[in-house]
Amino acid sequence: MTAQHIVKSYDEELKRLTNAIAEMGGTAESQLDQAIQAVARRDSELAGRVVRNDSAIDQLEEAVQSQTMRLLALRQPVARDLRDIMAAIKIASDIERIGDLAANIAKRAIALNQSAPVRPVAAVPRMGKLAQQAIKDVIDAYLEHDPKKAIAVWQRDDDLDDLTSSLFRELLTYMMEDPRSISPCAHLLFIAKNIERIGDHATNIAETVHFLVMGQRPTMARPKGDTSSYEVVEPPEETGAAAGGGGARA
Amino acid sequence: MDAAVAQTKATNAPIKVDIRGVNFYYGQSRALKDVTMPLYKNHVTAFIGPSGCGKSTLLRALNRIYDMYPNQRAEGEILVDGENILDQKQDLNLLRSKLGMVFQKPTPFPMTIYENIAFGIRLYERLPRAEMDSRIEAALTQAALWTEVKDKLQASGLSLSGGQQQRLCIARTVAIKPEVILLDEPCSALDPISTAKIEETIEELKTEYTIVIVTHNMQQAARISDYTAFMLLGELIEFGDTAMMTTKPRVQKTEDYITGRFG
Repeated sequence: MTAQHIVKSYDEELKRLTNAIAEMGGTAESQLDQAIQAVARRDSELAGRVVRNDSAIDQLEEAVQSQTMRLLALRQPVARDLRDIMAAIKIASDIERIGDLAANIAKRAIALNQSAPVRPVAAVPRMGKLAQQAIKDVIDAYLEHDPKKAIAVWQRDDDLDDLTSSLFRELLTYMMEDPRSISPCAHLLFIAKNIERIGDHATNIAETVHFLVMGQRPTMARPKGDTSSYEVVEPPEETGAAAGGGGARA
Repeated sequence: MDAAVAQTKATNAPIKVDIRGVNFYYGQSRALKDVTMPLYKNHVTAFIGPSGCGKSTLLRALNRIYDMYPNQRAEGEILVDGENILDQKQDLNLLRSKLGMVFQKPTPFPMTIYENIAFGIRLYERLPRAEMDSRIEAALTQAALWTEVKDKLQASGLSLSGGQQQRLCIARTVAIKPEVILLDEPCSALDPISTAKIEETIEELKTEYTIVIVTHNMQQAARISDYTAFMLLGELIEFGDTAMMTTKPRVQKTEDYITGRFG
């Protein structure tokens, strides 16, 4: 680490901010873990706990917001301090969204348990593990100020996108085979999409960490592997083609 | 070009003042070490750095005000529109009318507000009364002071508040139509409202003038300048565009200084 501020309380405030982000990240990671377990083990009680516990992350985010507001007002930060504080605001809001998505997965777990188990559920823990690892690694990258680690998370997001796309196709097959599975499969679809969104928030955080350390966002193009949104309709190529609408592919 | 300046973002603005390899001596002591940087036309450049880093010395070199003191000398080149003003043949009165200076403490003359400004103009020009009146109004307007003093131009300049006095000094400087305005910590003795008014004035003046400001207030440099030069112990450590300097300086020393991690 570099030299300390002349005003020691400034260092302490910044440290408190970093700790709050670390705590938020840890909480979000365990919320996601439990939400996935609730899906895999059909445990509605656990799912209920996850839903109720979401407010803990919200409260942490509020604490981060008020701390950053105070720092901006009192210290008028520049350079690294400014990037530190901006990063904390952005990361906190990404983690808060991750928390919301995890809670939503838990809610859907409760809904899933109302109907008979469907086989594609097996893919959920694998996706969950990837997303969880992404959160853990990106928070580590943040704490260690390691842009390489952040970029690694950013690039790995492709895997999660691929899994989402393939699960999407699998679910479509199940729904077509047995209309009774439509309701649980629809919930699973949303669960998969939520996990995929969590991965996106992790890549957002990775970009923020890169900015925090390097002073700029990563320059390469962001990986965009999830094609499930294109499975049903393809985006019109030009404005002229838009009138005809997208052609069905699936 | 100097390494400290090398990576500055390309700008289309022409260079108004080109400082090249300037050394400055107070007797035996070397206060500036080989300073090289451009001052871009119609832009605000801020000099920042801890006390004794040479920023005021550099400012003083720009209009050769040091010439009034024995044992002080500058070496190197300072080109204003391509002409080296450190040349011994340089006409100093002409130079100082081109590069006007405003000091840290307001220095109004003990005369009326009107005369404070007219005095400088008369040194260079002979104007009929009506034209003089409109020059004074224009100068006071540019310095954002006109509405506050238009009804009491015959009052003493010393009767004004500190912030108004400082703006009077800015009006006095712009009245003689300089090309460059040098401000040496113009707000350090002022309250926040007067400071804001001076900053607003600077913002408006830069459309017509090239401005250099020495400031101890990093936030002020960030707010009003386009380029920032960070100096330390007589050396230019980093010169670059202000937005970049305040978010991601290239040099660690700059970062340590502006974030308050020094020494």
